[in-house]
Amino acid sequence: MSLLDADFMRNIANSPRGRGVLVCIQCGRCTSSCPVARVIDEHNPRKLMEMIILGLRPEVMLGALPWYCLSCFTCLDRCPQGGDVGETMFAIRNLAVKEGNVPRGILVQAQSLFESGRVVTPSRTALINREKYGLGKEPAVDVEAVQKILRKTSFDKLIYRGS
Amino acid sequence: MKYAFFLGCLIPAREPNYENSVRKIAPELGIELVEMESANCCAPFSIQSVDYASWLALAARNLCIAEEMGLDILTLCNDCYESLLMTNTILKEDKQSRKKVNVILADVGLKFKGKTNVKIFSDALYEDVGLEKLKNAIKEPFNGLRVAVQPGCHLTKPKRIHFGQWMGITALEELVEATGAKSIAYERKEACCGGPLRGVNDEVAMQVAKQKLDGMKAAGVDCIVTVCPFCYLELDMGQLEIKRHLKEEYNLPVLHFADLLRMAMGMKLEDWEIRAHRIPITKILNMKEAK
Amino acid sequence: MQKEIMVIGGGIAGIQASLDLANRGFKVYLVEKDLSIGGRMAQLDKTFPTMDCSICILAPKMIECSHHPNVKLLTYSEVKKVKGSVGNFKVKVLRKPRYVDETKCTGCGSCVENCPAEAPNEFDENMGIRKAIYMPFPQAVPRVMVIDKDNCIECGLCEKVCQANVINREQQPEEIELDVGAIVVATGFDMFDPSVIPQYGYKRFKNVITAMELERLLCASGPTGGHLIRPSDGKIPRSVAFIQCIGSRDRREWINHPYCSSICCKYAVKDAVLIKEHEPDSRVTILYIDMRAFGRGFQEFVNRAKSEFGIAFVRSNPGEISEDPDTNNLIVWFEDPITRTVQHIPFDLVVLCPALIPRKGVEELAKTLGIELDNYGFLKSADAVKTPLDTAVPGIFACGYCLGPKTGDIPDSITQASATAARVAEVLAGKEVS
Repeated sequence: MSLLDADFMRNIANSPRGRGVLVCIQCGRCTSSCPVARVIDEHNPRKLMEMIILGLRPEVMLGALPWYCLSCFTCLDRCPQGGDVGETMFAIRNLAVKEGNVPRGILVQAQSLFESGRVVTPSRTALINREKYGLGKEPAVDVEAVQKILRKTSFDKLIYRGS
Repeated sequence: MKYAFFLGCLIPAREPNYENSVRKIAPELGIELVEMESANCCAPFSIQSVDYASWLALAARNLCIAEEMGLDILTLCNDCYESLLMTNTILKEDKQSRKKVNVILADVGLKFKGKTNVKIFSDALYEDVGLEKLKNAIKEPFNGLRVAVQPGCHLTKPKRIHFGQWMGITALEELVEATGAKSIAYERKEACCGGPLRGVNDEVAMQVAKQKLDGMKAAGVDCIVTVCPFCYLELDMGQLEIKRHLKEEYNLPVLHFADLLRMAMGMKLEDWEIRAHRIPITKILNMKEAK
Repeated sequence: MQKEIMVIGGGIAGIQASLDLANRGFKVYLVEKDLSIGGRMAQLDKTFPTMDCSICILAPKMIECSHHPNVKLLTYSEVKKVKGSVGNFKVKVLRKPRYVDETKCTGCGSCVENCPAEAPNEFDENMGIRKAIYMPFPQAVPRVMVIDKDNCIECGLCEKVCQANVINREQQPEEIELDVGAIVVATGFDMFDPSVIPQYGYKRFKNVITAMELERLLCASGPTGGHLIRPSDGKIPRSVAFIQCIGSRDRREWINHPYCSSICCKYAVKDAVLIKEHEPDSRVTILYIDMRAFGRGFQEFVNRAKSEFGIAFVRSNPGEISEDPDTNNLIVWFEDPITRTVQHIPFDLVVLCPALIPRKGVEELAKTLGIELDNYGFLKSADAVKTPLDTAVPGIFACGYCLGPKTGDIPDSITQASATAARVAEVLAGKEVS
């Protein structure tokens, strides 16, 4: 186990979507409601909150736990403290991406978004079929605008590393 | 009723039949769908996982487009709904966030003013069209078709942002039952289908979908009806994957909610649309014909 | 300046306040909305931690109230209008018609035996049945019948068999005006309806019950004669789970009971012990967030529950309950705090411990009296520290759970009631007689 990071909880609490960690009373209702926790023992929302509170930074940031979350918000809706458990998952993920830890599947969608303005694009066949079925041309995206925005937020730097 | 029509990414890419059904039934219900020029991806779950400001700015761009059109947004996808609704709520309520996002949007000549609302297809039907009008448009009702309604997570969660405009799963079920079908109770109706993990962790996505399908099968339904295209994909294609990897078969056809309405309104699905369903929907069509 | 006092609410707090004031020489009108005084304590099986039979220690006080020369019982009555000020209140009380002459009915029960019409028994939390002519429970005070006209089929049998000739179907509601010097509110609590949180299955699953329903099942005068059997099939439950904090400590906007209801941990442990006494081989588990067993021997009681009775205390709050449709057994999903994995354990019976909320009708009563309620509908003290039993209106006082969960258990309610009686006497003594 690593050395505990005394500032970790504060840092998460101060990041967007992370303030829920301040109200957690470790009751466990979130984990018992989570559809993924039933399937994967490693995914345990209450445990994530515990690790943040204790300051187990590397375990949280390098672990797979936050990436199992479906963002279904069942935990968030059921938390008696009104704690944003599902939101905290996003806060951790945002921080993990900044530090270079992001699953491939997410990266693929993010790169597609930057390059085409869409997380998933129609295939050639799909485009031909659209016209065939009378749905008209594919709705156009202003890719330039998207890239302008994403450059401003440094999104591109997050998803294209070492390139 | 006029709406700024937000299609999202998944429907044009993978489920044009959903779009087709909506376009066919809209005029019958007095809904006018106005194209949103140059709208971008809503920034769903995967993008929100990468960066907060990027999410808000991208979603806000769409909201601005709708504001300039002077219309409310109509979405067909739960994920688009969650992204746009949450962004709209955050930016309307939090001045700081609004300022920061407007700085980014200034670069593309836009400014968020908080003048639009976000509606998902089923809520729009319930609130704006109304059950009465819908029932009047039903020409060929289903005769007690047993349906497992999959509302999808973001139709009603987080309850905190839906609280004011929360229609709840019951509104969707009333709409389904207006077509003559019966919404059957099954275990964990409000639970997630596993869709968001498709392509990220397929193993877990499959296991989560299995929980839902097990509950639906146990309740004895004829088919599943979805609102969200992710749920549709996960439960339709997902059944094939579960059959291959976990050796479990359900044979539960999955219909888009718009398909259900379309058929009940007396329209026929075209061949290419019927073929688009991975789990064949022939038995549903036969049930309809048999009446 | 009137030396009469009105006590609104005939639970243990109202009864104690009435007796204390009556013994000091004041005339007390004890106004109770329901058919009998007794309140929640009359519904309980045993009290914690002494395990006394609840009605056995309550009934003597109820009888004392009914016989005390200084106490006038006005049951089945509601306060409708209040005018005036401390020392001189004019109160209009509406007496609802029982369709039975209260002064002549002896409560002999011949009518009940012969009545063919049935209805759910409210006192038993709608788990048992009663007749259309009935007394709410065997120890009811006053010992007088009432006809429930909604369920009465008007067969006339009750009139035929009544030896005292008390049936009067034409009885009208009666409004009386009373002059009193002070008013004491002691309206108690209701239980939050857990079906508002659908994940726990209350009302959807037959074998998920509230703690009050359990009390009625355990109580010898209840719908099962004190046999612990479960609602779906009458079988004896071999495994029971208690789930704490259903609605309590809940800060979500649509629930809005962020407070701790203060007595549920205690009564849950008491009920768990009672179940183990009924069925020593059963598996009883309490699922809690915190075990709040403060004061008066409760922590010792908890320790006994663990060591002597083998009750399992699991520090985990379940997110949901599902049901096995064939057996009606419940499956409780919770995170096992030791292995840190999600478990789903079957139980024959699940008891929910819901938040305690103000009695229905208190909002209206508060408007009538001109007193303030807090954010959760409980009565507001004039000053929570210096005069906790006074309301902001001089001459109107309160005691018991109507003031909110800070008041705690039965001995606390009794203590408050006696304190309020002293306050009333003090205030009324300090004024000139008009």
